[in-house]
Amino acid sequence: MSREHDKGMSLIVKTITRITVGLILLYGIYIVIHGHLSPGGGFAGGVIIALSFIHLILAYGKEEAFKKLSRAGAKVFESVGALMFLGIALLGFTGGYFFLNFLHKGQPFKLFSAGIIPLCNIAICFKVGAGIFAIFVALILVKLDLEEKK
Amino acid sequence: MIVYLLTLVLFSLGIYCVVRKRNVIKIIIGVIILEYAVNLFFILTAYRMDGRAPIFAPGEDIVNMVDPLPHALVLTAIVIGLATTALLVGIALRIYEKYGTFDITKIKELKG
Repeated sequence: MSREHDKGMSLIVKTITRITVGLILLYGIYIVIHGHLSPGGGFAGGVIIALSFIHLILAYGKEEAFKKLSRAGAKVFESVGALMFLGIALLGFTGGYFFLNFLHKGQPFKLFSAGIIPLCNIAICFKVGAGIFAIFVALILVKLDLEEKK
Repeated sequence: MIVYLLTLVLFSLGIYCVVRKRNVIKIIIGVIILEYAVNLFFILTAYRMDGRAPIFAPGEDIVNMVDPLPHALVLTAIVIGLATTALLVGIALRIYEKYGTFDITKIKELKG
């Protein structure tokens, strides 16, 4: 085995990961965008997006994955998601009350419809995706610390 | 009626796993089985004969739907279950880091 394959898993796993990881990310984004039309939504799509990054960590090792989404980046995305959700809810006060659907509702069953609900889905997707990625990274970093001690 | 009894059997398996096993990881798996048994019970209470999924789609009447309220409740419960499982696994890893074992009978350094 050559030197470039020292980190991570074997060449087969890396090749398959390189092909499929973009498709997994796109499928997660599709689930989030169509969250108000079909089953799924912010949480399910966010989990799928986080799984695409976890897939990268498992196949390539943590350095390659941290180039795509660093730990500080995950922290920023998680905070942005929470603040965006709160901001959308607070903007309802412009019309009267908390969580008011102040945008135009549009035609039912069209992609651009349902007012603030797709925006809420996107906020939840940021929060959940970055949160699950951060949980996974925290667990594997504990394992790495244990190996260094031995 | 028999399906409710089967969820009770699954719940009892989870209780047995939490009470009887000595490995911390196996106890966490028992907690997960407990959560899933309760979720399954809620979903089964929501079912109606010949019901379909409570999704509003174009060209369909709102009849013959199963009860959507337990579905929403279970969705929230799954999210909270994910968070509690992550917390439990984190505590178990800390225990392993401190004592070097997952066996709860060998963790005896709990002095005042």
